[in-house]
Amino acid sequence: MNLQRTERWSGYVILTLLAVGIVVPFLSIFFASMQPSGSTVTGLSWPDQWSLDNYREAWTVAGFSGLIQNSFIICLGVVPATLLLSTLAGYALGTMRLPGGNAVFMFFVAGLTIPVELIVVPLYFNLDSVGLLNTYWAVILVEIALFMPFSVFWMRTHFRATPPELMEAARVDGASPGMILRQILLPLARPSLMTLAVLVFMWSWNQFLLVLILIQDPDRRTAPAGLGYFVGQHTTNIPVLSAGTVIVILPIMLLYLAFQRSFIAGLLQGALKG
Amino acid sequence: MSALTRLKDEAPVPSARTPQRAGGRGGLRRYKGYLWVLPALVFYVTFAILPAFHTAYLSLFDWDGVTLATWVGLENYGEVFSNPDYRNAVGHALLLVAFFSWIPILIGLLMVGLLSRHRRRGMTFYRVLFFLPQIVPLVAVGITWRWMYGDDGVVNQLLRGVGLDGFTRAWLGDFDFALPAVGLVGTWAMSGLCMMLFLSGVQKVDTSLYEAVRLDGAGAVREFVTVTLPALRGEIAVAMTVTTVAALASFDIVYVTTSGGPGSQTTVPGLLVYRLAFSEGKVGLAAAIAVVLSCLILTIVFAINRLTRTDP
Amino acid sequence: MAKTRLIRAALAAAAATAVLAACTPGSEDAGSDDSDSSDGAESVSTEVPDEDATLRLAFVDGPEMVDELIAAFEEEYPQVTIEPQFTEFTDYVASIRLNMTSDSAPDIAQFNVGAMSDLIPSGHLLNLDPYSEAYGWQESFPSVGLEQLTADETGKVYGSGSLRAVPAGMSLTGVFYNKELADEAGIEIPPATLDEFEQALEAASEAGHTPLSIGALDSGGAHMWAALLNSMMPVEDYRAWVTGEAGGSISTDEALAATEKFTEWADQGNFNDSANGTDQEASTAQFVDGRSVFLMNGNWAAAQVADEMGDNAGFFLLPGLEQDAPAVGSGFSVSYAISSQTEHPEAAAAFLDFLASPEAAEIEAHGGFLPPNVDAAPEAEGVLGDLNSEFARVVEADGLNVFPDFSAPATYDALSSGIQSLIAGRMEPQAFLDELQGIRDEHHEE
Repeated sequence: MNLQRTERWSGYVILTLLAVGIVVPFLSIFFASMQPSGSTVTGLSWPDQWSLDNYREAWTVAGFSGLIQNSFIICLGVVPATLLLSTLAGYALGTMRLPGGNAVFMFFVAGLTIPVELIVVPLYFNLDSVGLLNTYWAVILVEIALFMPFSVFWMRTHFRATPPELMEAARVDGASPGMILRQILLPLARPSLMTLAVLVFMWSWNQFLLVLILIQDPDRRTAPAGLGYFVGQHTTNIPVLSAGTVIVILPIMLLYLAFQRSFIAGLLQGALKG
Repeated sequence: MSALTRLKDEAPVPSARTPQRAGGRGGLRRYKGYLWVLPALVFYVTFAILPAFHTAYLSLFDWDGVTLATWVGLENYGEVFSNPDYRNAVGHALLLVAFFSWIPILIGLLMVGLLSRHRRRGMTFYRVLFFLPQIVPLVAVGITWRWMYGDDGVVNQLLRGVGLDGFTRAWLGDFDFALPAVGLVGTWAMSGLCMMLFLSGVQKVDTSLYEAVRLDGAGAVREFVTVTLPALRGEIAVAMTVTTVAALASFDIVYVTTSGGPGSQTTVPGLLVYRLAFSEGKVGLAAAIAVVLSCLILTIVFAINRLTRTDP
Repeated sequence: MAKTRLIRAALAAAAATAVLAACTPGSEDAGSDDSDSSDGAESVSTEVPDEDATLRLAFVDGPEMVDELIAAFEEEYPQVTIEPQFTEFTDYVASIRLNMTSDSAPDIAQFNVGAMSDLIPSGHLLNLDPYSEAYGWQESFPSVGLEQLTADETGKVYGSGSLRAVPAGMSLTGVFYNKELADEAGIEIPPATLDEFEQALEAASEAGHTPLSIGALDSGGAHMWAALLNSMMPVEDYRAWVTGEAGGSISTDEALAATEKFTEWADQGNFNDSANGTDQEASTAQFVDGRSVFLMNGNWAAAQVADEMGDNAGFFLLPGLEQDAPAVGSGFSVSYAISSQTEHPEAAAAFLDFLASPEAAEIEAHGGFLPPNVDAAPEAEGVLGDLNSEFARVVEADGLNVFPDFSAPATYDALSSGIQSLIAGRMEPQAFLDELQGIRDEHHEE
């Protein structure tokens, strides 16, 4: 009995230690962002006086307000389109008997291994020649393609798990495939779509290399890409750099806290389901 | 990525779920369903598949990205394998695999061994925390750690705090420690994911199995080896795939922490692709490195797939 | 079954790509759209049209100075608006090629030889000879500034050929010193020879200070190495190498001796402990905090040093081997080139011409840069005064050398990582020089 209890408590102690390890970097950057601009910050240190001045500087002078806006525009372009296209494809691949459907599905899944490095060089030159370089469109189009393998996989998995009797009944009633999707399957798919939406949003928000190359105009970059450039200018002004970092982390972090169930379910099941 | 590892479970899908009314002899009508797939396919092929092949094509040229290119055949690949700078970059990426993949998996397994014997309350709280590194942009992670590793950073502060003043240094500027330091950032980012994967996997294990080995008088270690570990094989494969791919395509973190320095101790293939193609005007060479990197990823994913395939 | 289908699909896709990409990369444009710039024969106008024009200016140095220059220029030409586009150095070098060849290239871009040399043969940079003639820039700008900015048609040989950019202010690297700490250690300033400087480093070390701060995480280490080359390698040899003259070589005995001196200093602990983990900004911060006696950096750090240290700081060029050796320093202009894709070449050229005005010289000096025209430099005291007088010495001796990374586009990365390796004792000096030479040779072979 005693042994059980020590085991139980030691478990919590270890969990807490690991949790501290996870949290310390976030805390240190947060505390640093509250110190006076330009001051020397040593490690994890409690600010003497709290001030939001660094945030103001990062937001206006360093232009993070614009960068965050760009990020949202791109996410707003990517998420709905990805959801729509993958729902259509997942529906067909998951519920219809298509000749060669498995091969097509495999063709999608194979795309899960494509690293951005493999496609970004020709994309740069090709998008340039059609005048899309330095536009939001460049990033939006490529990200939709990049996230398509997972999204199709995810939606197909969802639709395959739907009881066939549901569709069968509707079909007997004379419903077309489009009506079946809209009226019967979509309402049921809401949790899956929700999860997919937050995952795609996250991937789009965090994308770096692609933006770094496809958008050269510093004013049109996304928040993470802008942050990457921002490092060089403010290497010694740790407080302002930290404030910029917090600004970039904050939206995705809030989204995560609000939808943590979807996120965690997505990350775990996205990995395991199938 | 992980979906690949699970593919084995469903590769030979009979997909006879929906009885077809007009099917069987329906000719063209059977293909009508592809209209639904087409939009996704068009995007995917245009902006992912074709560029991938285009990269392979570019890798056969000597091209500065501006003036006319010259055909050089496989010469770029020869350069990738003969030039130590490029070879080393691949080596660095492979070393990062140990930090991004093996250590987190070991930590994850250790935690499962320690924690799985009891149901615990408050796990939601820990789970939310442990996933945090997974959702924030890697650039932000890199910047945070870049500072933590600095002269005045948390790492040195900690060392001084425990009296190890002699060990303090600018970690990312040190030839011996820069790469491991970058690797540990990956360990930090990936451990939570591995742990949570395994913990959720172990919950699916039939508790009677545990009771059986316990009745046999097995200790915690044997219980772990005989029941937990085999049950988690699928999860381990998934974790390995995800983390390995993350390690090999680790551009973001390296770019903001070290840019490949000191010397070229932390260069990775992604960084070389970026530099060679865009600032040094060696597009063909960059394309060749990208192709080599992708082949490496494919091979490893395939190997993991293969190794975990031997089903009971 | 599924597998063969997959393969078939892949083959089909491959075939489609082959068709798509059947032409040789680069064949469609190679910069031919705006090749009116390739020979400087046609005449141009110095008149700026009345219609509204907006120019984008991509740059890396001196954001405040650029803002002021733009404001002053716009006052003179109200119909022209210039939008500044700042990028930090390392990223600027990495991205400016991309930026200038894209459809949305900036109209004006700060010139960087290493990164932009490919843009000359490809026709992406406007040949400025016609404007130089129309405006009479040979008279309004001093030759020390303009010469560095000429290049031949291949973009590989500098110091001759057509004008590619126009200087807004000059830069110069050298040694900053902390007067108080130097006095304490009994160091006499300025040292007359390199030997004396070495003794000064020793004295600083004995007094318990870090002798010399360098920021080798970025280009600070390379500046130190270049300064040693200036002191120990004949100027003609260095220039032959860096400007791309046929037969130029860095693999010489003198360069080797300079490189060995560099590693020797690193071994002896003359540099800050974590030089490889310190960037130039941080090395300046260390120096300003009194954590080192000397600092290797450029004029861009002078404003900060003057602000925070006042009279306690000074500046001198790294001395030569012998007393009264001619003054040689590394420096380049903050200079601007015009994109051949610009729709408003007259307005852009008018901006470049504006840089020669006394008003611009005042702004440049205020921004911490050295006006190309030495006589136009406003009076200054302390470290800024030192900087002006050292620069005047260099100009007089015709001793201004461009930075070593100008020798080839790939030099910059090899240089910064090679210097870091030298500091850490991971690379032999000869191997370092051979690598740089190899990169330069390869660049010129192409």
